[in-house]
Amino acid sequence: MKYYNFDIVFQEIPDEVTLAVNITNCPHHCPGCHSPHLHNDIGMALDEQEIDKLLKQYGRQITCFCFMGGDANPQGVEQLAAYVRQKSRLKVAWYSGNAQLPQNFSKFDYVKVGPYQENKGGLKSHDTNQRLYRNLNGKPVDITSRFWK
Amino acid sequence: MMDQLYIIKRNGKREPFSADKIKNAISKAFLSVGSFATQEVLIDVMSRLKIRDGISVEEIQNQVEVALMAERYYEVAKSYILYRQRHYEDREVKEKLDFLINYCNASNAATGSKYDANANVEKKNIATLIGELPKSNFIRLNRRMLCDKIKDLYGKELADRYMYLLNHHFIYKNDETSIANYCASITMYPWLLAGTKSIGGNASAPTNLKSYCGGFVNMVFMVSSMLSGACATPEFLMYMDYFIRKEYGDDYYQNADKIVDLSLKQRSIDKVITDYFEQVVYSINQPTGARNFQSVFWNVAYYDRYYFESLFGEFRFPDATKPIWESLSWLQKRFMRWFNAERTRAVLTFPVETMALLSKDGDMMDTEYADFTAEMYAAGHSFFTYVSDNADSLSSCCRLRNEITDNGFSYTLGAGGVSTGSKSVLTININRCIQYEHKNNLPHLQFVGEVIDLMHKVQNAYNENLKYLQTKGMLPLFDAGYIAINRQYLTIGVNGLVEAAEYMGIPINDNERYQHFVEDILGLIEKYNHQYRTKELMFNCEMIPAENVGVKHAKWDREDGYVVPRDCYNSYFYRVEDESLNLIDKFRLHGSRYISHLTGGSALHANLEEHLSQSQYRQLLRVAAQEGCNYFTFNIPNTVCNDCGHIDKRYLHECPECHSKNVDYLTRVIGYMKRVSSFSQARQEEAKRRYYGTM
Repeated sequence: MKYYNFDIVFQEIPDEVTLAVNITNCPHHCPGCHSPHLHNDIGMALDEQEIDKLLKQYGRQITCFCFMGGDANPQGVEQLAAYVRQKSRLKVAWYSGNAQLPQNFSKFDYVKVGPYQENKGGLKSHDTNQRLYRNLNGKPVDITSRFWK
Repeated sequence: MMDQLYIIKRNGKREPFSADKIKNAISKAFLSVGSFATQEVLIDVMSRLKIRDGISVEEIQNQVEVALMAERYYEVAKSYILYRQRHYEDREVKEKLDFLINYCNASNAATGSKYDANANVEKKNIATLIGELPKSNFIRLNRRMLCDKIKDLYGKELADRYMYLLNHHFIYKNDETSIANYCASITMYPWLLAGTKSIGGNASAPTNLKSYCGGFVNMVFMVSSMLSGACATPEFLMYMDYFIRKEYGDDYYQNADKIVDLSLKQRSIDKVITDYFEQVVYSINQPTGARNFQSVFWNVAYYDRYYFESLFGEFRFPDATKPIWESLSWLQKRFMRWFNAERTRAVLTFPVETMALLSKDGDMMDTEYADFTAEMYAAGHSFFTYVSDNADSLSSCCRLRNEITDNGFSYTLGAGGVSTGSKSVLTININRCIQYEHKNNLPHLQFVGEVIDLMHKVQNAYNENLKYLQTKGMLPLFDAGYIAINRQYLTIGVNGLVEAAEYMGIPINDNERYQHFVEDILGLIEKYNHQYRTKELMFNCEMIPAENVGVKHAKWDREDGYVVPRDCYNSYFYRVEDESLNLIDKFRLHGSRYISHLTGGSALHANLEEHLSQSQYRQLLRVAAQEGCNYFTFNIPNTVCNDCGHIDKRYLHECPECHSKNVDYLTRVIGYMKRVSSFSQARQEEAKRRYYGTM
């Protein structure tokens, strides 16, 4: 698994200060995609070593670690998510383009599902097909409405 | 054939030399004293002139004066000299007239201002014009006074060197257009004891809530007219709380809904209090005659419980009672919430507010106040937060941080900690100095050190002039104890630091090279600050907000062939337009590793496109505590509709009420909130290029 870059973001996960890692080699190729450069298999390797580096740099300052994409290798994302949880107190989030929640939902604190559909818009659109779920004691709770304020 | 000679006219243009013009002028001088110049006389006088190519008109006229006297035509020479003087005065008036016309035609007041452009003037008019006209005279007067004192203290050579560095823009003297000392955080205790008589007013001491609030406005106007910069009143709410308690009891805040106004209005305690807030805030935001139609620049502070105890633990009101934290805390929160709501009704620039929080182990000590601070940011309120792990310093202004030298209390001066400020700011243009060193193969920081050393001598000379004014009774704020001359700082300002690092090829992000570069320069200033410190001289170092200096430095440096990466030098430790840095990186670049030598402070303006939630701001307060970023604000442009007047806390491109796209924005381009359209053209450009956060 490789990633293109990362950023500190505030809108993607409500109430969290999130380090978002942009994973490349995205299999979805949604029409109207905002980040077409992430279709290609480019960037730096995202592994435990790389995560250690990011946690050392930002782990204390953030509250959440978010994998943006990675649908080509869901097991890989789950493994790294478990690694982040093991190494830190951080919440773990996954922005997936798949239509369904992952089987191992309990490994995450937040999961966004749904491919981007141009006519329905992103999470901020009331018509969106995308959903953000929060893991509340193992149960997914739909918190998409937080984006519609 | 002789080559044609050219002379240089006053406007800098070249013109062929004409002997007839000189002859004409000399003839007129003879006629003016009832005499007549024959050809022979004219030739005698002319033959004494030494005209060379490129000679200036002034120089020729000087020679004519000498020639007339050498030929013993003393009366004629005198007439000629007086004639020249009259023309000189005419030209000066002509220049002022040109300026007046240009000012009237400028798009706004800040753009029209030739010297010291200041956006704290909403609209240009006859009153602001009256303020602009004498500015050039003030600059000349200030320079003359300072140079004379430097000559007295250190000799002519140093005075000349100062003027050289000033004229070649290695250094910049801030606020030369005013003769008053710069900014002050005052103790109001002398006013509480004796009213405004000691500073030249006629009001006796406030005795109740009404006379406190009314008198406060007048007192702030008086104090501000004797300062060129801001007036901070860190005790405003504490004293107000005292007077409210005297009127409605110590538990007033627990009965805020109680009706206490028996008039037809039937106002509650809360309504009475907020009506006073309204009176004070709206009065102080009015344009002021004594300040060239600027409003006064007013700052207030809020404290968490620990700061309060440290600053005011020993404080006693004149009746020997102590301030009470619980009611003050309620009042602080009430004022902040009221002000936030009021700002959706009117563009209110002042007061600039600073929340002072003490930190410990990577978080704020007073978690109730940290939560409240985050709540207010999330509610869209715009204010500064000052964080310290020790109540040994206070930020009294939108930019300046001051070490507190005395936290004691006295029955004549009140709390020692609040009385501070900056007497004068003198700024070094680091970008030009570093490039000058490099071009002239000078060792790194040798020239910079020479300049900094000289700046301290100049500041000392400034201080001597101030002391002189005080001995003549010109500075009642000092005499009456509102501020103390030896507790006010002489400030060394820094500008062009990021640009100098860029020139050196240093990446502007958190890396060792950049950290060392910053440390070396600011450490050098701190070294001299210590070296020149005496009982009556204290220096600090500040990254100046560079409201207009940043634009001037960039322009001058570019004209003189220096490398200039942007049109306005940064006021931050990062490049304002840099999209590669995230918000945590910016806190880090304004964290302890970079700002430790910056004893006078610099504020991180975290520009964001949208408001964050309370818990996100709360986490960022922890980030600030962890990184040691001691002074910051979050800046989300507020939208003002130019058509219907609606003010919205969000950054919008369309008015949500009337859907007009004719909107303006309120933002902090520097310390205070103003309409973007009130800033000078150059500053508006900078505001446009700003990168408002990653979302």
